[in-house]
Amino acid sequence: MSEYEKLSICKDAQLTLRKAHEDGVETVWDRLKKQEPQCGYCELGVSCRICVMGPCRIDPFGEGPQYGVCGADADIIVARNLARMIAAGAASHSDHGRDLVEVLHKIGEGSAPGYTIRDADKLKRVAAEYGIETAGLGNEDIARRLAEAIMEDYGMKKEQITLINRAPKQRRELWKKLKVIPRGIDRETSETMHRTHMGVDNEYVSILLHAVRNSLADGYGGSMIGTELSDIIFGTPKPGFSEVNLGVLKEDYVNILVHGHSPVVSEMVGLAVDDKEMIELAKSMGAKGINLAGLCCTGNEIMMRKKIPMAGNHLMTELTMVTGAVESMIVDYQCIMPSLGQVAQCYHTKMYTTSDKAKFPFMEHVEFTPANAREQAFRIVKESVENFRRRNKDKVYIPVAPVRNMTGFSVESIVGALGGTLTPLIDAIKAGKIKGAVGVVGCNNPKIKQDSGHVELIKRLIANDILVLTTGCVNVAAGKAGLQVPEAKDMAGPGLKEVCGLLNIPPSLHLGSCVDNSRIIVIACALANTLGVDIDKLPLAGAAPEWYSEKAATIAFYAMASGIFTVLGVMPPILGSKKVAELATSGLNDVFGACFAVEPDPVKAAQLITNHIMEKRKGLGLNA
Amino acid sequence: MKVVVVKPERCVGCLQCRFACAVEHSASGSPHAAPYEPVLSKPRIHIGLTKDKDTFPNKCRHCDPAPCEMACLPKAIFREPSTGMVLINPDRCINCGMCAMACPFGVVRYHVYANNKTAAHKCDQCIVRQKKGQEPACVEVCKVGALLFEDYNKVMDRDTDEISSLVYLGIRSKEQEKGPYQSLTAYKHRLEELRRKQS
Repeated sequence: MSEYEKLSICKDAQLTLRKAHEDGVETVWDRLKKQEPQCGYCELGVSCRICVMGPCRIDPFGEGPQYGVCGADADIIVARNLARMIAAGAASHSDHGRDLVEVLHKIGEGSAPGYTIRDADKLKRVAAEYGIETAGLGNEDIARRLAEAIMEDYGMKKEQITLINRAPKQRRELWKKLKVIPRGIDRETSETMHRTHMGVDNEYVSILLHAVRNSLADGYGGSMIGTELSDIIFGTPKPGFSEVNLGVLKEDYVNILVHGHSPVVSEMVGLAVDDKEMIELAKSMGAKGINLAGLCCTGNEIMMRKKIPMAGNHLMTELTMVTGAVESMIVDYQCIMPSLGQVAQCYHTKMYTTSDKAKFPFMEHVEFTPANAREQAFRIVKESVENFRRRNKDKVYIPVAPVRNMTGFSVESIVGALGGTLTPLIDAIKAGKIKGAVGVVGCNNPKIKQDSGHVELIKRLIANDILVLTTGCVNVAAGKAGLQVPEAKDMAGPGLKEVCGLLNIPPSLHLGSCVDNSRIIVIACALANTLGVDIDKLPLAGAAPEWYSEKAATIAFYAMASGIFTVLGVMPPILGSKKVAELATSGLNDVFGACFAVEPDPVKAAQLITNHIMEKRKGLGLNA
Repeated sequence: MKVVVVKPERCVGCLQCRFACAVEHSASGSPHAAPYEPVLSKPRIHIGLTKDKDTFPNKCRHCDPAPCEMACLPKAIFREPSTGMVLINPDRCINCGMCAMACPFGVVRYHVYANNKTAAHKCDQCIVRQKKGQEPACVEVCKVGALLFEDYNKVMDRDTDEISSLVYLGIRSKEQEKGPYQSLTAYKHRLEELRRKQS
């Protein structure tokens, strides 16, 4: 096995990694090696940088300090650190959601040229959930009123955020009893920061319960709003085909990549690359046209809606430029490695930042606002096209051919495919053709062989007749492995194969970006409501085999709090407190009906999840 | 012969060496599992602190001749012939404390071993790792270069070169080039001075 085959299961990653090293480009894997072994205190979560009486750390071997300068023990320090991780994740998704609220509001005010309402039905449906009377109002008026109502979700005017009502009644009652119903999206994040300041909340269970509330403010707040408003503004995704892997870059075309998380920028770039004048300009430069491709969740957003192909997931972002075929990369925010500008310097790629909250070394800042987005998108695309002249054609290396990937499975399109209700899915679950469903979500992490955790887990789950729902970086992993085309039904167990064949869908469905984990939550809530049971009784599970980010920790928390057993492939920094570790891996079960497991081996993770689903089926009186 | 050379002026007091040492000598060898073992592994490297809060990573120097070995009447302390490391056989140790008294560096401790026997406890220079061609765990984990695993003469040769350059550059101008860590040390010294003045 070559050095590169140990780092990734993907041919395109292995081959471009080899070229990266020949070209002298440092990658995320090289930097991990230089960091190893990593700090043991931090891995256990027992280092604290919260105040400057510290920094402090607790000696897990009992010889050194057992208390920080303030007197916090390992339980308090671990709980505070974990709560802050969850606050950061919730803040990220929720601030992303806020940007869409802003665009919706500006559409309502008529000051967002280029943006419009693409799904007026959904606008009305969501407005109704917010108690807005829509009869006789135009789309713009509804948009403005809905945006203003959502702004209140972000503030402190309400007793509870609106979309929490989508959860089953039993779940909401449990949350009410535990006092974890989020009151305001920003309020809970702000309160986490307050509680974890020195001298505020110092009872680890109390800190963690608030962290749960903070995560729910994301799952049923920031993330859910991000998804719903993106659908309203850019269109609710419908099933269709696209392509994945580095092969989506085209040798004779101007290649433009969009990277990050927000569809606000990439949708406009999408408009500009389709423009006739721009295509003519590209032809005058000697290219056949302009090719747009996505990375990470920005890629997921435009793949879901516009079937624009994806060049890769998190660990592929540096390697895309090693092809020498990328004229520009346009980034918005989240998961954009600060190294990218440095890599681009080794090639002709131009790097653009677009958000005032996310600036990077060696990138040019072209700020996008709802008012100027269209204009700025055209400017960047024009410069990118002109950059085609600087490409060194002898050094272009696109190592593989693209793989087909089916995408576009929004809740609406899944229900649509089922004939308007979830009943056929429930019948298939009851009949045991589909044993259950698992959301396989999350990132890449260089500590895990790239995509190995995702692909092996999905293969084993579908072979056990378990339907898989993917979001985020998992979409590209599953797509590259050929698991997200209808023909992949042949890799599924007999029951799932039959259902996929009837509906002509893959056994692993792409539901979108990482804010779109809210779509999985909406499906779980709808299933529970239809059956009249709580979510924790359903044969469902979650998995984040290769997670790295704070956002993933928040997602795991709101999934668990919703009653979904969640298996993590990477150890969170909590083992320094035996009490917190015990709570996370079993104690939570008694409270929320779900807990976490940590299992890096996808074969064992698949077994854990399958056993869990069989147990839940038994609980519902269904055959294994 | 390679030894662990300490460069105290580079130590930032992060205690990573202590953590790695405890994990290396634990039953599981895993940072996640070691804190959960019934008998906790104890670090064999100690970070001494001066009045000015300067740190010094202090561990067994594997002296030759070794005062601890000479003071050990039950012959629990012995020199391993292939590597020259001074080791402890906890089964023979009678906890008399003679080795600790004889040690010029104060690096001997008494701890419970995995078989529940208390005995003298000190650095074995990761003899298991050395035999696998690896450097000691404390050295591997030290990211600031305060712990090196090298032949002493080679390190001194390098130091000689560095000092020669300093002489030619002028020691004074070199002193003015303050890196971020030197600034932190200077700040700590000022803080300590202030504390002394105030007490």
